Amino acid sequence: MDKLASLLHTTPAIAWMVAKLVIVFGGVFSLAALWTWVERRGAAMIQDRIGPNRAALFGKIKIIGLAQPLADGIKFFFKEDLVPHDANKGLFWLAPFLALVPALMGFAVIPFGRSFVSGGHEYHMALLDPGNGMGLLYPLAIGGMAVYGVLVAAWSSNNKWAILGGMRSSATMVSYEIGMSLAVVTIFMTAGGYDPSEVIKAQGHLPWAWNIVRQPLGFIVFFTCMFAETNRLPFDFAEGESEIVAGFNTEYGSMKFSLLALSEYCHLMTASALIATLYFGGWQVPFMQNPPVMLSVASFLVKMLFFAWVFVWIRWTLPRFRYDQLMHLGWKAMLPMSMVNLVFHAWRMSQGH
Amino acid sequence: MFITFALITLLGALGMLLQKNVVVAGLCMVAAFFGVAGLFVLLANPVAAALQIIVYTGAIMVLVLFVIMMLSSHQEEAAAVSHPVQRWLSVALLAVLAFGAVKLVFASPGVKALAVKGAAMPQAMTLQTVGTNLFADHLLGFEVAGLVLLAAMIGAVALTKRNL
Repeated sequence: MDKLASLLHTTPAIAWMVAKLVIVFGGVFSLAALWTWVERRGAAMIQDRIGPNRAALFGKIKIIGLAQPLADGIKFFFKEDLVPHDANKGLFWLAPFLALVPALMGFAVIPFGRSFVSGGHEYHMALLDPGNGMGLLYPLAIGGMAVYGVLVAAWSSNNKWAILGGMRSSATMVSYEIGMSLAVVTIFMTAGGYDPSEVIKAQGHLPWAWNIVRQPLGFIVFFTCMFAETNRLPFDFAEGESEIVAGFNTEYGSMKFSLLALSEYCHLMTASALIATLYFGGWQVPFMQNPPVMLSVASFLVKMLFFAWVFVWIRWTLPRFRYDQLMHLGWKAMLPMSMVNLVFHAWRMSQGH
Repeated sequence: MFITFALITLLGALGMLLQKNVVVAGLCMVAAFFGVAGLFVLLANPVAAALQIIVYTGAIMVLVLFVIMMLSSHQEEAAAVSHPVQRWLSVALLAVLAFGAVKLVFASPGVKALAVKGAAMPQAMTLQTVGTNLFADHLLGFEVAGLVLLAAMIGAVALTKRNL
């Protein structure tokens, strides 16, 4: 690290910060693009089809259609950029950015590997170093900001279907945030800290000491709420193709639509990373006290991509909920379950002391 | 950094006041809240910043915008009758309030501590300190606030649901 930094005429801290920025933003963004392909191939696999397999690099190299996201990107860039006549132009332009920026920012606090020491410096594998004081409140806060992308896109299009989608999804996000936050609070309580590194350290390297075993109820609530927060099926009320055309992005085309779609996949990545961090020991490798750094990164990636795959899997397995069923589930099942989880663990902790 | 966040806050607030379109005004208010959260971070209080974003921008403003978007008209209506007396009264009250606030801030021990050379930097606020402070030093206020919120919640349910 020191050599690399001196080669670039900067201090190791700055070089590492830049490297982390590239890894986190570039990594999440390209994984999100890749996941559009995984989603389509996964759908095809589940529905016994073949899926996209024609896109080829230079007309020759077909790697099971892996060039598809690239082809989609080029196509989206060259499409005509339409703005509806009566739309609020400024907000219509702003909405994709309002959706994308929080989606990318949410990942910043999650440690994607073990901290390591090199040349007397300690390097942390998270964009925001541990002890920044925001901890896991940060992804919750950024997740709350995500509503604006959908809401602004919906309102500025000046379209009935769009506004219906925006209304439904913002109501969903706000209601499910409560159950989710209470599940996270329980983890803060048992871990005795709210920094992701503390949460990971509290879980240890033994799989039966991870939060999934200790708080299965909390996991169920958090996992369900993540589907509502990311607007994924079975809770994708923002779009709901069978009911309201395409919901909040009815009027969007070309790269603006692409940004809205990509922001959903970025949310998916952040959500899976959060699930892995909170309930599956983050970068901890099972049965290994101090894993090598690269192994810890690999362990984190495996966990995160597994949950990203589960998101795809569930999308093509469960049908969409009805709106009132969704609200019932949120307020009458998730919130009480989350409260029971909180009170139970508080009681257990009070017995322990 | 301070200038950036202060400008975001002030411009957001100004935009909210001057914007004729109610939805855009609401979004300006979101920007102002965001600037305030940034100022909290600069004041070594990241917890307050996170809570500011979670509670105000993430929940309250979403619901306010939700209601605004449900209404058919998004333009500000002109007042039916102008009330010059009320306007001057409000300006006078605001001036008194601002004067009092500034005086309180300058009289606070925090500002006096700034003048002391070589004083220790205050520790950044953590969630643990907030919790200990709430339950140890301000228990009564905390409980009263909880009761008020509970009453408000029951009132809201009773108002919206006529046939329970």
